[in-house]
Amino acid sequence: MKGFTHFVSGIAVASFFQQAVHMSSQEQSFILCLGGIFGIMPDTLDFKFAKYFYKSDLEIRPDPDNLDARVIAETVAQAVEKAAKEGRGTVQLHTMQLGSNLWRSYSLWFDSATSEVCVEIGPLVDTGQIPFEGTELKDPKKSSARIKVSCEFFQQFDKKSNIAIMSGPCFEFVKRKTGKIEIVFLPWHRTWSHSFTLGVLISLIVGVISFLTVTEGPHAHLYSIPRWMLYPLIILFGSMVHIIEDSTGFMGNNLFYPFTKNRTDGLGLMSAAEAIPNFFFVWTSLIAILYNLDRYRWAPTETPAGIENPTTFFMWFYILPVAIMAFFFFKGKQEKQAAKAGDKKGKTVDFDSQTSVERETDASII
Amino acid sequence: MAILEHLLNPQYLDLFYFSALGVVFSLIISFLPALHIYNVIGIFLMIVLKFEATVAPMQLISLCIGMIVGYSILNTVPATYFGPGDESMSYYILPGAAWVAKGRGYESIILTGVGALGGIIMLAALAPAFLYFMPGLKTITSPHMFWILGAVISYMILSEWPKGISQSESCWENFREGWRFLGVGIATFILSGILGFIVMAKTMVPLDFAFQSITPVFVGLFAIPWLITNIINIGIMPKQYEAQSMELDWELVVRGTFGGFLGGFFAAYVPIVTAGVGGLMAGHATAQRDGRLFVISYGTCKTVYYVGSFLLFFIPGLSLTRGGLAWIVTPVVTVLTMKEYFLFVAIMLFSAGISFLLLMPFTRIIIKLVEKVDYHWISVIALALVIPGVYSFTGMGGLAIMAVSTGIGLLPVMFQARRMNLMGVLLLPVCLNMAGYGNDVLRLLGLI
Repeated sequence: MKGFTHFVSGIAVASFFQQAVHMSSQEQSFILCLGGIFGIMPDTLDFKFAKYFYKSDLEIRPDPDNLDARVIAETVAQAVEKAAKEGRGTVQLHTMQLGSNLWRSYSLWFDSATSEVCVEIGPLVDTGQIPFEGTELKDPKKSSARIKVSCEFFQQFDKKSNIAIMSGPCFEFVKRKTGKIEIVFLPWHRTWSHSFTLGVLISLIVGVISFLTVTEGPHAHLYSIPRWMLYPLIILFGSMVHIIEDSTGFMGNNLFYPFTKNRTDGLGLMSAAEAIPNFFFVWTSLIAILYNLDRYRWAPTETPAGIENPTTFFMWFYILPVAIMAFFFFKGKQEKQAAKAGDKKGKTVDFDSQTSVERETDASII
Repeated sequence: MAILEHLLNPQYLDLFYFSALGVVFSLIISFLPALHIYNVIGIFLMIVLKFEATVAPMQLISLCIGMIVGYSILNTVPATYFGPGDESMSYYILPGAAWVAKGRGYESIILTGVGALGGIIMLAALAPAFLYFMPGLKTITSPHMFWILGAVISYMILSEWPKGISQSESCWENFREGWRFLGVGIATFILSGILGFIVMAKTMVPLDFAFQSITPVFVGLFAIPWLITNIINIGIMPKQYEAQSMELDWELVVRGTFGGFLGGFFAAYVPIVTAGVGGLMAGHATAQRDGRLFVISYGTCKTVYYVGSFLLFFIPGLSLTRGGLAWIVTPVVTVLTMKEYFLFVAIMLFSAGISFLLLMPFTRIIIKLVEKVDYHWISVIALALVIPGVYSFTGMGGLAIMAVSTGIGLLPVMFQARRMNLMGVLLLPVCLNMAGYGNDVLRLLGLI
């Protein structure tokens, strides 16, 4: 899921604590933001820290002056063979920056049918990944390569990885019990940072600190949870909701690191980058936040409610929008399936993929 | 019958005249380099209010509607080719610059226009619904606005990801490279926040022009760094193509408009949050991935932000003053009824139609201008106009503030960090003041 989705979900979870809502409205506390911050924290840890300290077995730094797709494919295949022998192998692919706004692109994919590592050198692109026409390599022997490996692949994503700008991707190859080699994209992502273990550990540390420093607030008799306990609980549930949301996708998480070594598979209900699922979580969170802020308002008998009739509120602002989202989501899914099945009658454009407009239509301006 | 009576009543025709006049004025205002709309409108209304005896309140409001609708649609044109004057524009300007670099500036402008028109139609369609749910929304969120701003700040900072190519053998070297960009972003936010505290607590602008005290800050943070970048930029403006037609499908327009509306409405409703910040959040919430979608969505977001914040002010009985223009017209507006509210909606639609019709010829004129005149020189002239302009309104104190702001404004430009961090100048002081910590910070800074 997108960072914003996790962030809003974290705030929504925090808003379920009555005392936290009261602290916000009566004591000008930023405690609800804590849920949001820890909602996005697992990704922050990965992309701002973990990624830099992950060491790969092999690194590929293609020479822009002597490009050869075979060299790249052979190095990747070497990492695959290492995994076949030793259980694991990793490879980091680097980009080729040729100027401040000029890069050489290449792509990598794994052909499960033929057990081949495939590499293709692409055109020059700018930082917006717009290709420069006619800059592809002329020599077909150097521009693409396929290297056969001695094992079969297991991959959930059957997609090309386009390596073009900024930092390149990292792949891990893991030997499964079946003997197949699983291709793990970004092995440093969704591991320790996306585990229940880390969430519990951080909460315990924060819990100890808040137990020693946070005193009971006014009207303590109104609440069943002591104030010091709010902080670790919001942190724990904020990070948990991130992990749960990510589990709905394909990639999954390493839930009990360091007791488990590998990421579990996700439920595969939706792709993390899809618009509708992301918006569904965001909208659900917003509705939950508004509802909680209203029902937990201070002195509810003396202050008027913002939501006069919860049933009408949920009907108009939740059930109806979710029904519309569901309609477009399943319509898109059906169209995708129809397109995959080669059904020419089905509309090939779906709600989340490229529309005809998104492709270049006016050749004169390229 | 009552509706027809209102529609056919010739007494309202003058309002359409004034709104059309407002659109024409906005054309001129949007062409003024590097100034924020609210400052320009503030000065403009000071002049117009001298005719208060002859201009009725609703006529003045129609003029303002015309100006804000026109500006929100038309200012994309000079901003695309000459640089943005405010933060709401600078969010768009990088993708906009990419389109210009491909010779497709005209296309991107028309797409923002389509998005803007979509946003206005959505505002009009939802205007009756606002009457129903806005009072409830205000009741729920009013005691919580400070932490909502805090959440916006947190997300802005946390959602900026490291840049760099990470190709060093040393992990720490790669870490430093990535964090250099993040560090500059955070430093920019904090420095601009401190600047905001200083300017709000002890302005150096003469009291007569206190309402313009933020002008030198915005000019320094957003406008001058962009003009300097334009001047030192060695590149040339590529030939701009005028597409004869554009293939647009409803799906793209609806998706762009919907995402943009969410961002624009959020920015219009939450104080201090601008279209840039709202657009960023809505873009992430709706997982936008495509350039065209972004441009349409941006057009909607900006228009809904500017016009929506003014529209909210007219909801009867709500007393929701958001955005500079609502504050400016507050002394003029005495009574707000359903009649004024729906007149606003009608004038808004009319102004949007005129503005959209003007968009294409205006873009053509600007393209001809940039083809004939080197844009470096246009930037030099803009800079030469802006500095004396700021001096004339805010004196030496204003120039000093502008100089400091320019230094901070150059940070993200030089280190490729998000320019949005510069909004710390308003977000940080307003958020902490609303939460009641403002005086503590002022004491810490030695300002009180």
